Amino acid sequence: MKTTMLAIKNILRKPGRTAALVMLTALLALSVFGGSVVVRSLRQGLNSLESRLGADIIVVPSSAQSKVSFQNMLLQGTTGAFYMDAENLNRVREVEGVEVAAPQIFLASLKADCCSVKIQVIGFDPETDFFVRPWIEQSYSKSLGELDVVVGSKVEANVGESIRIYDERCKVVGRLAATGTGLDTAVYCNMDTMKELLRAAEAKGVSHKVTSEDSDDQISAIYVKVKEGYDISQVNSRIQGHTRKASAVRTKSMLTDVSNSLAGISGTVTTLIAAVWILALVILLIVFAMIINERKREFAVFRLLGTSRRMLSGMILKESALCSLAGGILGVVLASVIVFPFTTLIETSLGLPYLRPPAGTILTLALTALGATVLIGSLAASIAAFRLSRVDPGTVLREGN
Amino acid sequence: MKKSSILAAAILLIGIVIAVGSVSFLGPCVHEDGSFGACHWAGRAMLGIGVLMGLESIYALMSRDGAARSSALACMFLTALLGALTPGTLIDLCHMATMRCRAVMRPAMMILCSLAALISLIGCLTGLRKTGEKK
Repeated sequence: MKTTMLAIKNILRKPGRTAALVMLTALLALSVFGGSVVVRSLRQGLNSLESRLGADIIVVPSSAQSKVSFQNMLLQGTTGAFYMDAENLNRVREVEGVEVAAPQIFLASLKADCCSVKIQVIGFDPETDFFVRPWIEQSYSKSLGELDVVVGSKVEANVGESIRIYDERCKVVGRLAATGTGLDTAVYCNMDTMKELLRAAEAKGVSHKVTSEDSDDQISAIYVKVKEGYDISQVNSRIQGHTRKASAVRTKSMLTDVSNSLAGISGTVTTLIAAVWILALVILLIVFAMIINERKREFAVFRLLGTSRRMLSGMILKESALCSLAGGILGVVLASVIVFPFTTLIETSLGLPYLRPPAGTILTLALTALGATVLIGSLAASIAAFRLSRVDPGTVLREGN
Repeated sequence: MKKSSILAAAILLIGIVIAVGSVSFLGPCVHEDGSFGACHWAGRAMLGIGVLMGLESIYALMSRDGAARSSALACMFLTALLGALTPGTLIDLCHMATMRCRAVMRPAMMILCSLAALISLIGCLTGLRKTGEKK
């Protein structure tokens, strides 16, 4: 207890030195907590995308595949409007091994009444859909009526409000849970509403026709679930051969691309954290060596007054642990202020699925960062304390004279 | 240099960042068609709040009377609260979370204003306590 009070008094006596130590350890905690939250959020986003996609194969128009616009739409929320002949849906359903094939129609709004951003509108068929419906059912259990829409978590519209798309007032009946993907920026409706919107878009001069005059004859994507026991690659090849001006994409290959990008970013973040830690450890070792050297005479007096080596080492360790704890808390708070309010900015900058982990995981990461910071601070101090314990106090005091 | 002067100088710096940031690096969305959305006016309001915060802190820095300085710090606290509530609460922003006004301007202004509110509150309370002790 006495050494703890002494350690606190020593810390307060030299505010400049204490502030430097706190700042250094804060940098450690900030890098490890901030970095690990970003990496964990990216992993969470990838898991969310994996579970959300549900389909084994996605059939999109060849033009969409060549421009990678479909992948960008899913990952970054960029708007896309590409169409293919609806006859492809029947062709896909005829392919051996296809269990379910659900169509979707995409439409990019010109400009919502709220702001200048384009909104991606996704129309789905409630009868066959297995992609959007289970997700919507989590927040809205009834069937969608005419001009009823459900909005993604990033569309700032509340239930009961209406949003204007091509001058059509659509009623928001539900808000979806966040997925950390581009799907969060979209608006979902049934096929009847979508046809209304397509007609409204036509009236505004936005053409979406492929070959036919009838808007019923075009779709944007087909989500395919393969029957149990069938090889997905073979079914994919068969679909490719059966469809016209369309490409069948295996969702696994798309997820592999995302996973590779994520691995690259995770590697970079981990390397940066490791570099910061090695640098900070070296600096801490030098700082503690300098502090101990500066306070050599003070410690020698303590020894002559009867303080044991063990007590003296304990006091140095307590000083360093208290400074590291304060720095750790400061670092975690700073990282929280940087990472959490700017989640959307980080997500859009990285262009990858990004979903904040649950509060329990965040708390665990914060405590780990705090523990690691205190541990590294104490480790650096213990090395210096060990060196000090081997020095003879009499020699130190004579040196001073 | 007195502690309250250091705190007022810190708020002056925050006020400058708010004022300059609201028309540049922390500013709202720039509309492609040249039109002004609600977020543009939220940005303009933040420019005013930043300037006001700066002027209040200059007054606090120049004031020699402790009570006057505490009053200025109390005004800064209220201005900072107003600033924290302006984007998104008092003035609407764009309806998409990915838009610059929501992704950058709002969180940045809230952090800066919260920091200014905290600093001014500490300065004000410390100043009031000292004034009370003198009496």
